[in-house]
Amino acid sequence: MVIAMEVRISPQMSVMDKLKILGAAARYDVSCSSSGSSRKNDGQGIGNTVAAGLCHSFAADGRCVSLLKILFTNECIYDCRYCINRCSNDVPRASFTPDEVCELTMEFYRRNYIEGLFLSSGILYSPNYTMELICETVHKLRTVHRFQGYIHVKAIPGADPLLIQRAGYLADRMSVNLEMATAEGLKAMAPNKHRKNILKPMRQIQNGITENKNELTLYKHAPHFCEAGQSTQMVIGALPESDYQIMSVAENLYDKFSLKRVYYSAFVNVNEDKDLPALAGGPPLLREHRLYQADWLLRFYDFKVDELLTVDRPNFNTAIDPKADWAVRHLELFPVEINRADYRLLLRIPGVGVKSARRIVSARRFGSLTFEDLKKIGVVLKRALYFITCNGRMMYPTKIEENYIVRNLTYQNQMGRGEKLPFMTDGTIYQQLSLFPRATS
Amino acid sequence: MEEKYLVCEDSLEGIFTGIYEAYALREGHEHVHIQIGEEDNYRLFAVYLHILPDAVKTAKVARTLLERLGESVYHGLCRAAASCYPDKGEAVYKAVVDALSAGSGRRVMENLRNPYVHRTFELARYTANEAHYEKEFIRFQELEQGILFSRIGPRNNVIPFIMPHFADRLCPENFMIYDENRELFGVHPAKEEWYLVSAQGDFVPERLKWSVREEEYQELFKVFHETIGIKERKNERLQRQMCAYRYQDYMVEFHKK
Repeated sequence: MVIAMEVRISPQMSVMDKLKILGAAARYDVSCSSSGSSRKNDGQGIGNTVAAGLCHSFAADGRCVSLLKILFTNECIYDCRYCINRCSNDVPRASFTPDEVCELTMEFYRRNYIEGLFLSSGILYSPNYTMELICETVHKLRTVHRFQGYIHVKAIPGADPLLIQRAGYLADRMSVNLEMATAEGLKAMAPNKHRKNILKPMRQIQNGITENKNELTLYKHAPHFCEAGQSTQMVIGALPESDYQIMSVAENLYDKFSLKRVYYSAFVNVNEDKDLPALAGGPPLLREHRLYQADWLLRFYDFKVDELLTVDRPNFNTAIDPKADWAVRHLELFPVEINRADYRLLLRIPGVGVKSARRIVSARRFGSLTFEDLKKIGVVLKRALYFITCNGRMMYPTKIEENYIVRNLTYQNQMGRGEKLPFMTDGTIYQQLSLFPRATS
Repeated sequence: MEEKYLVCEDSLEGIFTGIYEAYALREGHEHVHIQIGEEDNYRLFAVYLHILPDAVKTAKVARTLLERLGESVYHGLCRAAASCYPDKGEAVYKAVVDALSAGSGRRVMENLRNPYVHRTFELARYTANEAHYEKEFIRFQELEQGILFSRIGPRNNVIPFIMPHFADRLCPENFMIYDENRELFGVHPAKEEWYLVSAQGDFVPERLKWSVREEEYQELFKVFHETIGIKERKNERLQRQMCAYRYQDYMVEFHKK
């Protein structure tokens, strides 16, 4: 065991080489948020946290770089088919030492490169052994270096609940990856993982957070347990699950496990596994985008999954976004009078976001609003105009009819003037899904 | 009635003194305007009054605004006054008039139907957004003496709005932020209060000497930044949209070797 350790920890490798391997190995983890936690510096060390989170850079794929996202080690005893670090892959392996992780975090943080640390890991020897290494590293960072910035750590399924609890008191956010939307999917993709083992630590963290909240109301200075809550992620497009299945799972996680975020990760066939989809058009980014849009509708717009999708209509419309799609199917509710409608109904208008809805409610106290005012407030009129009236008038004479509106909204898209997709004009990633709709059977 | 233009200095003090003088005229506010800096195209039949910034008058205006409008409106007005647009003086002045005289008071920033309030709101948002980006994208370099130094080139005068953030976060560090467009420093000595200083003489940031390990950490971060991107998702347009070139120019990870 001792000899094996020496070989595996490989002290002769430089920090630069380790960072190359272990940064690359961690990049498929989606979450990089540094939000949800608000803490002032106590004057004893370095760092604080900001409720809204800060993104310190953006990588070449346009995703934010907020945390130093690394694996502690990419050694792994598991053999998950979608994962680059599976034990059957012949890839260069490396492991950090706790001191190396601490030094990198502190020095990057001082230079304002990062908002904190995101520490995940392959399974070295056993879940317990791995979780202990993670705990030791984070403990050192918090106590020896007095680091008060953001820390996100993975809870390793199957690790001792005491270790997970210990990590929870050191971290701002914890996450356990659900990996696949369905239990059968997980079984097929990750023979060593079980849905039950994943949900167990998730429940433990949820209970920990609830208990901690009660404790904090009684004792103001009690230590915080996962102040920024917990998140999870699912791989999208590796298996034939429908959007309805995926969103129902997400809704369940929000309602029953009080998750802060569910992340969706468009599948990238890193292992070129021939039983997994090859996805010639690149990762299913448009689908991922629609899922995120729907996720926002669940969390901020008071939508339920059953309003957006049904068993007979299990996938999102690729041509228009889920909110507009819902609106054109509920034209009996429109047009909505901007000067009278309540906040909840305002939120349901395509082209009106949370901020605009709030601004409408407060600005109309000073007098009735016109279309000009709405433009100033930030309402996207070219989308909203089919669904609203100001003082009883519509902006232009338009038909309130499903096909007409859809045609107009998608026509704008084709002209590049409509919905702004984050990747539409980038030829390399353009999705052909509108030409070949996904099989819905 | 003739139009009166109060010509004020481009600073918070200048604008607040202008507001004080505008009220002191007691001529109503319809024909009184605040203008930032000299006029290069004088209007016929208009009177130009030159106002020198005055600390006492500024303090009086600041106290009144804070008391009557509350902290969040006051901070909004300060952010608008730090904007790079010259119409800020007039916008802030008329928004204050709307709040104090027309009675929108503490809710003035919600009265977006008023064009001056809307402009003030817009300017304040622009400064706030830029300050937010600078909090994210500022890069410190460690100098020989262990001091952290950062150079930025913001459009608005954001240093006063980002210093409190870094002063809290980097409490035990000596650091300074240099705004090269205004030649202004925000300086924070370790565990002390921060302050602003104007650059004296020729300050050339390139002449500063880095600490021994500075370059090594810059290289490490460059490598990390490169590795973390997923090549199958490469999307430079999105990257540019999220982090504009004008910030990238100051960020070490975007510097070519």
